[in-house]
Amino acid sequence: MRLAWGQIKRRKVVTALCMTGISIGCAAIIVAISIGNAAQGYLETEIIGGMKLDEITVTPQGSSGPGEGGGAAGGERGLLTDDKVQVIQGFNHVKSVIATKQLGYFRSISSDNLISEGVNVVAVDLSKLKEQGQRFKEGGALEQIGAVVLNYGATTGWKDAETSERLTNMMNTDPNNPKLWEEFQMYEGTVTDMSGKSIQLEQMDNEKKLLGPQMYVGGVLDVPTGREAQFAIYDRQAYVSFDTAEWLADSLNLQNGTASKQRVYDSVTVKVDDLQNIKPLEDLISKLALNASDNLAMRDQIASQLDTFKAIALGVGVFILLLASISIIVAMTMSTHQRRRQIGIMKVLGANMPQIRNMFIVEASLLGLLGGLLGIVFAYLIINGLNSFITASAGMSGLQIAVTLGTLPIGIAFAVMTGILSGIYPAISAARTNALLAIKRD
Amino acid sequence: MLRLENVSHSFKNGNEVLKVLHNIQFEVQKGEMIALLGSSGSGKSTLLNLMAGLMKPTEGHIYIADQDIVKYGENKLAVFRRKHIGFIFQAYELIPTLTVRENVELPLVFQSVSPSKRRKKAMELLEMTGIGDKAALYPSQLSGGQQQRVSISRSLITEPSVIFADEPTGNLDTKTEEEIIRIMMALNESMNTTFVIVTHEMEVAAQMKKTIMLRDGYLVQPEEYTRPAAGGSKAPNASSLPSGVEVHSEGAGEVS
Repeated sequence: MRLAWGQIKRRKVVTALCMTGISIGCAAIIVAISIGNAAQGYLETEIIGGMKLDEITVTPQGSSGPGEGGGAAGGERGLLTDDKVQVIQGFNHVKSVIATKQLGYFRSISSDNLISEGVNVVAVDLSKLKEQGQRFKEGGALEQIGAVVLNYGATTGWKDAETSERLTNMMNTDPNNPKLWEEFQMYEGTVTDMSGKSIQLEQMDNEKKLLGPQMYVGGVLDVPTGREAQFAIYDRQAYVSFDTAEWLADSLNLQNGTASKQRVYDSVTVKVDDLQNIKPLEDLISKLALNASDNLAMRDQIASQLDTFKAIALGVGVFILLLASISIIVAMTMSTHQRRRQIGIMKVLGANMPQIRNMFIVEASLLGLLGGLLGIVFAYLIINGLNSFITASAGMSGLQIAVTLGTLPIGIAFAVMTGILSGIYPAISAARTNALLAIKRD
Repeated sequence: MLRLENVSHSFKNGNEVLKVLHNIQFEVQKGEMIALLGSSGSGKSTLLNLMAGLMKPTEGHIYIADQDIVKYGENKLAVFRRKHIGFIFQAYELIPTLTVRENVELPLVFQSVSPSKRRKKAMELLEMTGIGDKAALYPSQLSGGQQQRVSISRSLITEPSVIFADEPTGNLDTKTEEEIIRIMMALNESMNTTFVIVTHEMEVAAQMKKTIMLRDGYLVQPEEYTRPAAGGSKAPNASSLPSGVEVHSEGAGEVS
């Protein structure tokens, strides 16, 4: 060990070159794993977390999505009725059932003459919003007709009438004007305190604007857990009770979707106690002539793509290490030739072949270890740079790459292994040195 | 201690076979200090390599501590050298990346002796050779004579049966040469270690109690020491040996 360390200290240029090669490979591996982990974490919190894996979305059979109200295509049999919701609620492993009905997108005007260009109005049992994981920022779910709960997104994008009209005109006449988009984005991201205000929905009826009755904003929801506010602004929902929905439908001449005597829904969200019960429950729900879907397949697909990405990134790191190992083999072989006399002397002094071989392997593994340690420093620098870039350029503050302690031993292990593997040939070659020829002086 | 029986050695040069040593036969007793004298090309280096187990003779046997080293393979020879043979080189051959003390310890490292024992023994020998205060220095910080003292200490650390010194004073000035010879003689006396000193310098051989002379691959008989070498060889002759130096002969090609 002392001999190997002495050689490493003495041959500074060779040591520096080998260490650089290995450190780049090691850094590549650490960075690759860290990016993979960060991407996985990001996907889990921002995308898979938003997917709500423990939920089954139930829709009427024959409908291609929400908003159709279980129309005639599926017939009465395929409707998502109150009776069926009750049945689903009675299934084992069902934690909660939340039925919704879409009323559509509306332009909204507030009592202080602010305008929001598009809010999706959804009928839901307001008392169950908390069960969906929603948190109230202000107010709460009021039971009276006309009460509305806005989500975080629905409190953004409100503009006064004049600005709204000016921006709409500019978009028609000068859509490529960057200043227009800058101003537009500024308004889109601005949060307005809507709590306690009255709003009216505007409906086009035969090219005539029809203004709905006054509604009262009884509650405002916070940004959903695990989501970034900057992305939440694009999801604008106004939640009303089913009674309010019927009151609105009458006032704005909206289609109620069905002639059925009982209430029908566009979709039902079923929360399940355990992910493994999702598929059996879906089978049961299908027997009620309803469509049931979940996000597990999507999660698996994302996870599979992520695994592929990680494997490729790891492959790149290993490839760089392989290239680095060539530099070690060359340096060590050179070193073996330059130190032939020294090896000969050691043999004369009683060193046997395994001892000489081990000395070179220790030297190579030390080079690997030093390269690995330098690689950790490089990895930190690269990742700091990447984080700054992501925050500054991409604005994805949720995607922060971190070097976890668990990745460091992996990087070091790869580096030391590269050192050892690269040192084997030179070590064997050194051990085979003929002592007599080596100590002979010309 | 060291016994050579009819040792001959040949080198192949293409189709030509060149015999460099002819039926060498002699014995060195434990605690003796002998000079192996010969001019360049006389075969003394080849003989040294054979005795040290670095080469195998074409014919004959070499016994050290009653073991015939000719029969041993490379790894067994390495183990044997470790225990029974010490080396002193003309150019010291110290490892530049190790300190003086670590250089002396090196043969014990190969024997897996514990660091504390190695350190203690190395320091004792360095004190004996007069460079105990230089233990922490590196070879490049020492003079030639001091480096050779390190080399002598290193050769003694395994308490070998025999120490082969190959031109140990070849790189030194006269004053230092005398110092080194004096140290080796003192160690020979105090530790009863057998020394075989290969040299071409009469002055060195003159200080040994016994001298074996080689000329053109043959052991030179004492009565021939005065006869000039064939082909004008510059081999020394007995007349140049100082009085008191004992040279023995026991038949053709044999000295003991």
